Amino acid sequence: MHAEISRRQFLATGGRVALGVGLAGSVLAGCGGEGGSGQITYWSNLEGSGPQDYFKKNIEKPFEKANKGTDLKVTFQPPDEMDRLVRTALQGSEGPDIIMTPGPAYAQEYIDANLFAELDEYSNEYKWEDKLLGWALDLGRYEDKLYAIPYQLQTMLLYYNKTLFEDKGMLPPKDRDELESMAEELQGQGITPFAAGIGDDPAAIEWFPTVFWNHYSGPDALYQALTGEIPFSDPIFVDAIELFHNYVQKGWFGGSQERFFSNGFDALHADLGDGKAGTNIEGSWFLATIEDFFTDSGDAWDWAPLPPLRSGVPAELYELGIGSTLSLNARAGDAEGAASFIDYLVADKKRAAEWMAAVPSAFNAPLPFTESDFPASMDERVARQLAALSQATNKGNFGYTAWTFWPSKSDVYIQEEMQKVLTGDITANEFCKGLDEQFTEDRKEGAVPKIIKPGSA
Amino acid sequence: MAQSTADSTAGPAKRAPAGALKRRRLLTAWLFMIPLLAINVLVILGPSVATIYYSFTDWSGIGPAEFVGLENYRELLADGDFWIAMWHNVIWTLLFLTVPIAMGLLGAFLLSQIQRFQIFFRIAYFIPYVVASVVNAALWQNLLDPDRGIGSALASIGIPFLDGVSFFGSERLALPSVAFVNIWAWWGFIVLLFLTALQSVDHELYEAARMDGAGRWQQFVNVTLPGIRPTFVFVVLLTIINSLLVFDYVYIITRGGPAGASEVVGTLMWKQAFERFEAGYAAAMGLGLSFVSGVIVLIFVFLRRRGWEV
Repeated sequence: MHAEISRRQFLATGGRVALGVGLAGSVLAGCGGEGGSGQITYWSNLEGSGPQDYFKKNIEKPFEKANKGTDLKVTFQPPDEMDRLVRTALQGSEGPDIIMTPGPAYAQEYIDANLFAELDEYSNEYKWEDKLLGWALDLGRYEDKLYAIPYQLQTMLLYYNKTLFEDKGMLPPKDRDELESMAEELQGQGITPFAAGIGDDPAAIEWFPTVFWNHYSGPDALYQALTGEIPFSDPIFVDAIELFHNYVQKGWFGGSQERFFSNGFDALHADLGDGKAGTNIEGSWFLATIEDFFTDSGDAWDWAPLPPLRSGVPAELYELGIGSTLSLNARAGDAEGAASFIDYLVADKKRAAEWMAAVPSAFNAPLPFTESDFPASMDERVARQLAALSQATNKGNFGYTAWTFWPSKSDVYIQEEMQKVLTGDITANEFCKGLDEQFTEDRKEGAVPKIIKPGSA
Repeated sequence: MAQSTADSTAGPAKRAPAGALKRRRLLTAWLFMIPLLAINVLVILGPSVATIYYSFTDWSGIGPAEFVGLENYRELLADGDFWIAMWHNVIWTLLFLTVPIAMGLLGAFLLSQIQRFQIFFRIAYFIPYVVASVVNAALWQNLLDPDRGIGSALASIGIPFLDGVSFFGSERLALPSVAFVNIWAWWGFIVLLFLTALQSVDHELYEAARMDGAGRWQQFVNVTLPGIRPTFVFVVLLTIINSLLVFDYVYIITRGGPAGASEVVGTLMWKQAFERFEAGYAAAMGLGLSFVSGVIVLIFVFLRRRGWEV
């Protein structure tokens, strides 16, 4: 059964529907765009029900309680997708009030596009210069204006199967000779010296040039290269890449070159936990999940600083990484409220320490911690790592990670071309020469983030 | 019906002129088309025009875009990575034009010969096609794992030839291995297409062929293939276009690695847009790929106009 309608009725009804849709869209757009409404939107990259529940219970609710009338809308986004989602939203003049980027080099692109608001006023109001680590704040400055707050400090560590090492009477290596002896001994016994692989994330190959440049070439040489004083084609960088290539050819990383390309994270972490691999070079984020891989075997684990691979390179050196930064959307409806949430999230030492204890490595605040700042419930190894990183970097004993200090195009070059070095398609020399060309181009475009000077330089 | 009744009672004096009636019908038709047209303009035409525009700019994906003329296209023609990726697309296309089509034809032919369990086999062949590519990829990543997969299982029973082979980590094996996984998911669909076509071939032609003394192979070549030619050509066209646009399995399993050994234009384009933030260049790359697809479709249209039954 159907009723016939006249053309006039059809047109009138169609017109009303179209008008209704248009008006509804306008009203909704208006609600989203303008503000001072007391609503703050934030996209978090926390994964898993545990960290997300902790955030809702211990951060989101208490913040709303402390700021009556403020509605904090938190959306959890997949970490791997976060930057793409943010870019898409910002292209449409949308996006959250507080914007997370994968690091200072990425934040710079948004700043160039005038999408971020200056934070200096809020920095003065909340005294961030007194609270946060100085170098961390410096990383968020562009042309002397503060735009981004580092949110997740990272460094590279040498994890090892402590039970295996004790059984074999071994200690974590303190220099290149010890590292090579360790690798030969483990390999001789059928144990993979370094659990490694990029099957799940080919971009993770950048960890290794990062480690070899910092611990072979050294932070001073890197500082000079990143500031344009010497080229990346300098032999000191080429030799570092050749050393890594040599280790991979020996089968020290992941068992073989082909397995290095195909090993997934779960498999290589399981190898470390089972004692099929002795060590693993990975970022401090692995502290969050490492225990899971030792549960079945019952083995113990620990970490050690990566050893210097050449004389003259500092012994306890931590390459600095910023996993993410927080900035204020230039279109934020409630900018004041959003800035107060950044302060609440990052700058309170007690709250941050509790969070870092409850959810290891999901969030590492750029604050001057000592071991005593952390609650007793925190795993001693995690507390030791956080305090060591904080203290060493505060003394200027730090290096540079590719994903933080290299411009994004140079970083992508490293991720893609380093694979070709391992397969023999290009030489270490060609790789470094190509990097230097890309980096020089990036420098001309002003894409290099602020390079902080190490204490030794 | 309502219109004709109204016309017959109103009489010729009140009948609307033929031109006006035609215009009214046309207007009504267009009004019904408007929602669909609006959606098409919004999700196809708009982005397509925007893509063409951005291909002439240096747009990074955010912020303003500066017009650079034909620079992206000049760069594309000289981009070694693009041509390597395009070559991988060609290899992929050749693999998909042979292996799954041959398997599909054989599977469909064998299925058409049986009555019992035919539904079971049809479902069994088709299941991988409807399973999400992420699931299929994860399944085969585990099955082909050098330490925990088929290779090591075979080695444990004394068949060591696949032991330790890293299918997705080897430059030589990565592309064919990913193609194999995709073929496994794809060929069941081809079987169903060919089976449906086979069932429409007149059985009397087979009887006539048999009476003329034709064997199975001759029946297949002289009766089956001509009978399913439209479906065959459709599958070929679909295969070529899908092979040019391939993205998901490569992205999930190898992301184009190792060292670009399995890179196809789809994954390279994604990297340009979302890793290197060269959205303008990625748009030019996408249009280059569309151009190749368009040429292939035009060839088919041309052949059809020349009288080919395609």
